[in-house]
This record gives sequence, C-alpha cells and structure tokens, in this order.
Amino acid sequence: MDNNGWIRYPAFNSSSGPFTMDNWLKICLLVVFAVATTGNEEATPAKLLFSKQILNKYLVEGMDIVIKYSLFNVGGTAALDVQVADNTFGPQDFEVVGGQLKVTIDRIAPGSNATHVVVIRPSKFGYFNFTAAEVTYLPSENAAEALVGLSSEPGQGAIVPFKEYDRKFSPHLLDWLSFAVMSMPSLVLPFALWFSSKSKYEAVLTQKKDK
Amino acid sequence: SCSSPRLTSTSFTTLDGTILTNIAYVSQFKLSCDGEPADIPLYAEVGGKPLSVVKSKETNEYVVSWLEETKKAPRGNFEIKVYDDEGYAAVRKAQRNGEDTSAVQTVGVVVLYHPGAYTGPWINSELAAVIVAFGVLYYAVTTKTKLEA
Repeated sequence: MDNNGWIRYPAFNSSSGPFTMDNWLKICLLVVFAVATTGNEEATPAKLLFSKQILNKYLVEGMDIVIKYSLFNVGGTAALDVQVADNTFGPQDFEVVGGQLKVTIDRIAPGSNATHVVVIRPSKFGYFNFTAAEVTYLPSENAAEALVGLSSEPGQGAIVPFKEYDRKFSPHLLDWLSFAVMSMPSLVLPFALWFSSKSKYEAVLTQKKDK
Repeated sequence: SCSSPRLTSTSFTTLDGTILTNIAYVSQFKLSCDGEPADIPLYAEVGGKPLSVVKSKETNEYVVSWLEETKKAPRGNFEIKVYDDEGYAAVRKAQRNGEDTSAVQTVGVVVLYHPGAYTGPWINSELAAVIVAFGVLYYAVTTKTKLEA
C-alpha cells in the first residue's frame, strides 16, 4: 500500500472504464438523436371542440336570432372534411335568413379554429330548447371512419311574442300623441280664456291711453 | 388554380341593435372558373382579419361570416378579399415580411354593405314627453309670476 495508507480508487476521469464522461455524453447524444428522428408517427389525431352560442339578449318572434358555431382543433393533425349540420331548427318553426345550417369545412389545421354564423327567425313564440348541432370529421388523412361529435347546448330559451316586445321597447309615438291631444283641453281652455280676456283688457287700456 | 374567375354574391347583415349582442355579417358567394362552378379551397380576409370560409354542398356556395359587437359595429361597405391557395400563401408570406398585401392578386373581392343597426330612437319618447311637459309648466309659472308682480 502506497500513498501513506490511502487506497487508491480509479479516478473519475475520461480515460478509464466503459461509463466514462465521454461515453455518457455520446450515449446521451445518441438517445436524443434517436428520439428526434423518429418524428411524429405518434402525433395525436385531430380532435374538435365544438361550441354553439346564441348571441341574443331577447328572443322575439319574427326577429333575428344570431347563432355562432366555433370549432377548435386540439389534436396534433389537421381535421379533414369537417361537416357541420344543425338539424334542430325545423323549417316550419324557423326561417334561415343568413348563412347555412349545413356546411363543410375542408380542413382545420391543428391548433386553429373556424367559426360560422347563422341568422334565423322564429315564426312561432314559446319555450324552445336549443339543442346540439352535429359535426363529422376525419381525424387524419388515412382514417378509416369519420368521428362524430356534438356541440354544446345553449339550453332552453323563451321566444316572446312580438306584441310583448313591442309593448316594452317601441317608442309608442302614437300613444304619446294621443295623450297630448287628450290633455290639451284641460290646458288649452283656461289659457284661451285668460289670453282672450288679457288681450281685450290690453286693448281697452291702450284705447284709454290714447284718449 | 382558377382562370377567369367570376364571383356572384348575396350578403346579409343583422339590422337590429336592441336585442342582439353582436351584429352578424354573412356573405354567400358562388365562384365559377371558365364558366364552370368551382370547388377549390378558398381563403378570405376582411380588413386584414382572416375569415373562415365554409362551403354549403346543398347550394354549392361558399359562405363567409363574422361578428362585431353592436356598439362597435361600423356601417358602410366592407371589402372581402377572396384568395385561392397560391394567393393566400403569398398573402401570408407578405405579412411575415411586413410587406403590403394589397399587391397580391385576389380571385375576387366581395363587397358587403351594412347600413347600420337600429339601436333605438335618438331621444326616448318618455324623455321627450317629460321635456315638453316641463316646458309647458315653466311657461305657465313664469307668466303667473309676471302677472302677480
């Protein structure tokens, strides 16, 4: 035993054994390279989040209802042949005045969104349950089957008859005019009496002055 | 891509500002290339903002739509620029380089007119009635005090 009693163990330097610093570095680089080059074979398929919103303060019979459909792709690949169909608004109860209820979007890239707006008019009043619209899409290019999804449901809404809306919100100009006409007699009659007597009195006064 | 493109369009905007939170602008157009109806993917932009272009298979139309808040919704003409694949790629490239995108050739421009939404009368009729009543009262009181003086 040399070194004054100290036992000499192999030093952790670059020049001894298989698990040297140099070798570790090379192994790490090899692993990183392997992972990086296997690429996106395992990328997540497309997944669409679908929301349906009603953008109205009041729902009135015969007046516009604005519906916004938003699709967001949270997957790793583009969603293809996205078909959106909203079959919840029957043609007897609703009239489509802007946009279309059945549309197709060719491609939604991963991480991006698409929005679509439809304007409809209800022809009846009452409580209406706004239910979900459907979407079908291919989650990747080689997908065998299309995925089907549903949108969020806005829930129940009350479509008020037009008369009620009119009673609350129209300016009622005709009503005010008739009110003014009806209140005229009680104001105008005394004023007319006073005015005629005043002008007669003033006429007499000026006559006296002239004399 | 499309040669001799022709766009025909119909547009719609919501006109009521009292019951809606947002004004909807919708434009539906048909594209024909060389006289034949086309089915190519299209991209649209209005005021520098990209729009989703959807297709309606039933009526063979493209639909673009967007929303603005009722208070901020401006009135007037909106130019919707429609591009095909190459055109849109050129627009994106120009945007990345900070160049002017109006130099890129469009497949067509659709003009949408929004006349402005009705947000209620200028003066509330009840307020007008109160003002008139107050005016009459003022006149009556001042005349009376003149007489008494």
